[in-house]
Amino acid sequence: MDRRSARRRIYRDRHLYLLLTPVLIYFFIWHYIPIWGARIAFQDVKYIGENTWAGLKHFRILFSSPVFFRVFMNTITISAMKIFFFFPLPILLAFLLNEITSSGLRKGVQSIIYLPHFLSWVVIAGIFISLLQSPDGALNQLLGLFGIAPVAFMTSTSHIRWVFVGSEIWRSIGWDSILYIAAINNISLELYDAATVDGATKLQQALKITLPCILPTIITVFILNMGFFMNAGFDQVFNMMNDAVINHVDIIDTYVYRIGLGKGNFSLGTAAGLFKGVIGLVLILSTDRLSRKVTGEGVW
Amino acid sequence: MKKYLALAAVLLAAATLTAGGAQEVPAETAVPVIRIVSKDVSESNAWDKAHLENITEGFIEYIGEEVVLEFVEMPEGAYAEKLNLMLLGGDIPDLIYFQGGDEAISQQGILEDLRPYVAASSVMQKALMDFNRERMENYPYLLWIAPPRARTAVVREDWFVEAGGKIPQTVDEYYTLFAAIKKNHPGVPVLTDTGNTDRMDYTFDLAFGNIATWFEENGSLVYKGVSQAQKDKLAFYQRLYAEGILDNDYITTKWDTMEDKLYTGKAAMVFGTAGIVLDIYDNKLKQTQDTGLVALPPAQGVAQGYPVSSAKETRGWAVSALSEHKDLTFKLLEYLATDEGQFLERYGLEGIHHTVSDGKVNLTEESGNWWPRFHEVMAWDAPTPLLGPAGQKGWDFILKYAVGDPDFPIPEELSPTWDALGNLQKEYTYKIISGEYSIDKFDEFVTEWYALGGDKVTAYARTVL
Repeated sequence: MDRRSARRRIYRDRHLYLLLTPVLIYFFIWHYIPIWGARIAFQDVKYIGENTWAGLKHFRILFSSPVFFRVFMNTITISAMKIFFFFPLPILLAFLLNEITSSGLRKGVQSIIYLPHFLSWVVIAGIFISLLQSPDGALNQLLGLFGIAPVAFMTSTSHIRWVFVGSEIWRSIGWDSILYIAAINNISLELYDAATVDGATKLQQALKITLPCILPTIITVFILNMGFFMNAGFDQVFNMMNDAVINHVDIIDTYVYRIGLGKGNFSLGTAAGLFKGVIGLVLILSTDRLSRKVTGEGVW
Repeated sequence: MKKYLALAAVLLAAATLTAGGAQEVPAETAVPVIRIVSKDVSESNAWDKAHLENITEGFIEYIGEEVVLEFVEMPEGAYAEKLNLMLLGGDIPDLIYFQGGDEAISQQGILEDLRPYVAASSVMQKALMDFNRERMENYPYLLWIAPPRARTAVVREDWFVEAGGKIPQTVDEYYTLFAAIKKNHPGVPVLTDTGNTDRMDYTFDLAFGNIATWFEENGSLVYKGVSQAQKDKLAFYQRLYAEGILDNDYITTKWDTMEDKLYTGKAAMVFGTAGIVLDIYDNKLKQTQDTGLVALPPAQGVAQGYPVSSAKETRGWAVSALSEHKDLTFKLLEYLATDEGQFLERYGLEGIHHTVSDGKVNLTEESGNWWPRFHEVMAWDAPTPLLGPAGQKGWDFILKYAVGDPDFPIPEELSPTWDALGNLQKEYTYKIISGEYSIDKFDEFVTEWYALGGDKVTAYARTVL
């Protein structure tokens, strides 16, 4: 393609580029300029005067903690649990919503399931702590009706991570399904009509038409999610953790908040952020490559 | 023609961008401006604005020269973080309130050593308590004049009287009181705490022998969390938990739910900050349960008292070392600790929080919503009592039972280790109290604690204590 034709295409689509401009400016200001600020991970921050070069000092402090490995593993475990158990659910929900024929009912259901997304984790933590209290919480009272002994969900090391997964599902399943619902709505109805004529069941239509058609969306979302793999959910963990389970749920973000940001040590916080970012980048690239090999689909 | 019109429009638009630049700049004045940054205080709040005007007027009279006081507006959100970011951006006010996050800043020489100022001030000598002076010796950058934040045990009066009405002194007498209340009200726990036992510890630590954060036990220096005294105390707490005396949900209880449990009859005893907080509890309990509170002294045993750490102030006022008005800024802190300053600070705004008739101060209903923005001098002799019976009793206990605790700030390089040790202790403590672990597990915890880095911190403690 020569330069003239490229220029001609840009001129032809100038209105689209104009629409794109604010988004590019946003990403440049809020996502690219801060990359330059990440250099303070390698510096000692001075409130007055120039920062001084500190090399890998802050990374050494981060990794030398007697509990860093445990905190790191907690982060990976909680993130992996969320990805594994949560990721398929919004897709399933989108499939189910697609089967509701009454548009009024569908809109009503959608509005209700989107609602928790707008609640802060402080509120959600309060709700879950109250619901899951032992022995008087609503869930334990319900279990009691079936003769099941009360379970200390919030203070049991074997349950608390599942509480994180459960509360994440409750909060985000509706909101995260929006993208899949939009993808499903873009599928040509003729495909379903033809399948119906051929005698395909609803399940067969879902598996043979809907799923393959939204697979690129699923793969894209999955790969992008991998970039946030190390973000196990600061707000959620911070508000739901307690002394009984702290060593099983303390993640990199909560650890850095206590050790770094709470004490004004921004370099340490940035070092942790950079560490998480590098892992996220590696995960995105490797997942993309794996996806291309297996399915032929990728982000780029 | 269109081109010229377009050019004119562009020039006009450009001119509007620079509009204001030509405004007349006020003539330079010699009046010093003291900029103050604090938490939850803003000139957009009418009470804060009026209070600042009153302080300015009084301060001008105190120093005999003109001065302007300004509150720096802070964005919403976590104060310590926002403050740090503001300072990092180079905006360093003259007077800064810190509530954490000050060590990194003081290490860079930005905060003034306040010891020479305090030494030269007779007002400060009168206002400061012993524990304030000890803290200032360890960390001379923060000044905080307020009663020590010890927690006083308070029990609802009707259940207390029903259980015999005898003020407990020893741990055994405390247990007898707990058991009697539990017998009368088996469906509810007697006492609760907020996520840990920190509040209860004020009443029981010294009685069991945890006489300081670090102390000699069997001839060697130990941290209180791994002492024999701690083991004995946890065994007591375990018993309280097993018998339903200690709230089995204390671990997930926050401060607001703790108060709610008191007001709704789901707990008989809580531990509150001595002073106005106890009055608030007392008033709300009267409104909701038609009964008041009885304040109880710390338990007697090996020792008796409320431990008051001398490590450093955890919050307080700092003077910027870069300020052009350091002396004047400290003078402001001094003025606020004088009788005149305390009058403004403690009684609030005339006509809103108090009225004055025939020279006598009368508190209004709104007085309950006022709090001192700078200092709360315990030694100040208020012409009209500020506290109700419960609040006053809490203060009396503090004055009588506060015991110095020779502690020290943990250095930065040991900070991650100290954090890890704290978390280990938290988990074992809960599991022992809740009965998930037997008390014998405490010895295993102590071994683990030293192996995780407790030995290093103890070695450091030996060098500084």
